[in-house]
Parts: sequence; C-alpha cells; structure tokens
Amino acid sequence: MVPFTEAELKKKVQEGYIVESVEEMTEGYKKALTVQLTVQADTELMSAPAYWMAARYAPSTNTQVSAHAIIQDELAHANIGYRLLEDIGQSKEQLIYGRQPHEFKHPYGFDQPLENWAELVVANGFFDRAGICLLSDVYQNTSYGPLKRALVKIDMEETFHLRHGEVWMRRLTKAGGEAKEMVQRAVDWMFPMTIEWFGLPDKLKRHAGQLGYKLKGLTNDQLRQTWMASTVPLCEQLGLDAPAHWDEQKGEFVLDYPFPCQYDAAERRWAFDEGEISWDDVFKRWKGRGPMNEIYVESVQRSRGDVQRWLNGAVA
Amino acid sequence: MSIHMSGGRDVWTGPLASTPADPLASTWTALNEVLDPEIPISVVELGLIYGVELKESVVTVRLTFTATACPCMGFIREDISDRLEQEPWVERVEIVEVWDPPWTNDRITDEGRARLKQLGVGV
Repeated sequence: MVPFTEAELKKKVQEGYIVESVEEMTEGYKKALTVQLTVQADTELMSAPAYWMAARYAPSTNTQVSAHAIIQDELAHANIGYRLLEDIGQSKEQLIYGRQPHEFKHPYGFDQPLENWAELVVANGFFDRAGICLLSDVYQNTSYGPLKRALVKIDMEETFHLRHGEVWMRRLTKAGGEAKEMVQRAVDWMFPMTIEWFGLPDKLKRHAGQLGYKLKGLTNDQLRQTWMASTVPLCEQLGLDAPAHWDEQKGEFVLDYPFPCQYDAAERRWAFDEGEISWDDVFKRWKGRGPMNEIYVESVQRSRGDVQRWLNGAVA
Repeated sequence: MSIHMSGGRDVWTGPLASTPADPLASTWTALNEVLDPEIPISVVELGLIYGVELKESVVTVRLTFTATACPCMGFIREDISDRLEQEPWVERVEIVEVWDPPWTNDRITDEGRARLKQLGVGV
C-alpha cells in the first residue's frame, strides 16, 4: 500500500522529501522515474559502440587508451542505470538484450556514425557536455536518493570525458589546415544535433512529470541555455563557427538557424535553408531512428552468452 | 559536494605575489591544489608525488601514476606544469616519471582518505 496520493507525494518532494524505496512511490512517480532512468542508461550504453568504432582512428596508442577508458566508463554508467531500474521492478537482462533496436530510448545523436578522430572528440566535447548538464541538474535536484548517490561517480568521470574532448578540439584547431576543417565539419552537424537533444521547447511542453516529481530541476530550455553558455564561448575561443550567439537584449543565447529543422542523415547535413519544421516531424525522424541504430544495438547484443559458452568449452 | 573542473582549475588560488621565505613548502601547497582528473582529491593526497626539488627556478617533480595504462597521464602532467609555472619562483617544471615502488592505495594520505569517504568512495 503506497503511503501517499500523487498530490501528497508531489508536495512532499517539493518540500525536500527524499524517496528511498519503491514502497514509497506512487504509480506516477515510478513511471516518470522509469522513463528518466531508461533514457539515461540507454544513452550511456549506446555511446559505447559509437565511441568504440571511432576509437580506431586514435592517433597513438596512448590516445587510444584514453578513448577506451571513456568507453569503459560509459558501459559502467549504463550498468548503474539498469541496476537502479532493477530496484523498481525492471529486468536488466530484458532491457539490454530483449529489446529491438528501435525500442531503445537514447537520443538520435547516438544513432549517427562517428567517422574520424575529430568527430569522436567533438562528441566528447558536445554530447558529454550535454550529459553533464542533464545529469548534474539531476544530481542537484533529484528526489530519488539512490540515484543521487550513484551520480557522484558518474559526474566525476564525465568531467574527464569532457576534458578529453575539449583538449583535443583545442589541439586540432591549433594545428589548423585539414585538422581544423575536420573539427568544423563535426561542429556543423553535431551542434544542432545536441541542441535538438534537449527536446521540446518549454512553451510546447504538455506535461511536467519529471519536474513535478522533482526528478530534475531545470526545464529543457534552461538546460539548452546552460549547454550553450559553455559551448558557444568554447567554439569562439577556438575560432570555430557555431550557429548561435549571445543576444544582449534578450539576455540569452539565440540560435542562428530555424529550430527545429530537418536533418539529412545520408548527407549529414541540416537543411537550414528549408526553414522550420514541426516537432511532430522531429518525433517522426527520431522514431524512424538513425543509420547506425541497428548496428550499434546489434554490436552490444551479439556477445550475449559468449563468455559463458567459452567457459563451457563450446568454442575452441 | 560540487563537481570541479577536471584538474581542479576552478579552485586554483593563482600565483603568490612574490617569492615566499620557503618556496619549496609553497611548491607543495600549490601542488596540493592539482586534482586528479576524475576523483577530486589532489595528486598529493592520492600519493602520486614521490618527491619535489627546487633548484635555480627549476622544479623537479617525481611523479607516479595509479596504473601504467592510466588514461589521464597527459592531463596530470599538464595540470602540474600549468599550476606550478604560475608561481614567481618557478621558471620551468621537469616531471620525472617513477614506477618503483609502484603505487598502491596505501599511498593515499589520511586527508585523501577523509575526502574520499565524504565523496562516498571506499578505499
């Protein structure tokens, strides 16, 4: 028997109450937390094959070691997310191995191929920065105690990934020439990709489940601003063009292109010139998944049971 | 607890205005501000520093790492040099890598252990 009604629990968590067990959760709370944790764990999991396939372009053994350490962290972070989901009645086994590729809930950005070292490090600089914005907000505000404690380790490790991304973006842009052009090309498709990742603008948001249950503190638009506040100055410092600028009058960063807009995954190009599209069109594109979705999910799922079979001597 | 910038660059106090009476002691103090890139305790508290010498404005830091495949070696070296070279008595930093005796978690100082405990990290 749940000790609270939905309204009571919402009021309590806003006053600082920390939920520690599934027995204290209302159906609505459990559902919102399940969605949040699934997105979080799936995102960490799918970053691993994306980064793994790009890590082969590492320019030296030492740099490859750094890239692999990041991948290893991401898998551990995914495991933490799925482990927390088990506490609230989900099956880790089913979530990782029992779903079809299109059923995973990671952002569209991790359905895209990373085709060179520059794209890997811009992913660290942009996508991992987005992860830090989202997760440090959750860390500071979540009403779910076990998640707050787990995020201490995750957030610390993510700062290393970000550092890796920014240091390499600096090195490559400083080198100039083709190296800088590669970084610029990566920025061109990954900047809008990350902006879109934060989701629906606040004015269109239909329900505020995660905010209502205090599973996070900042809105989508606020998080987008937080991300731009670090990323736009970084790009300016490195002499890279980013399609956004600080608007003195509005007191916020504004985008220099129609948002949202269409993305051509085959050409890896945002159709700025075709104007604004609807969010229904965006959801349709997201639901259709991107070009690497099946390949990434398959690469995670195919090793299932291999180790056990080797231990049993089934494979020579 | 707050999440610091990798290497702790946001908590560096910056250079002293002039060379103090005991520059070697102040070198250790500055070094104690350099944080591990992942876990926010300092490289001194983590037990990575095997020795510091100061000779004619050149600081030699004898440094080890927690593992031979540590992914953060480059960052740690860079953070140490950048922090120490801010100080007026330091012209150059030389880092000597030391692998013997190898690092174990026995080398973490009491202060380091106390901080890790606060962060919820077991040693």
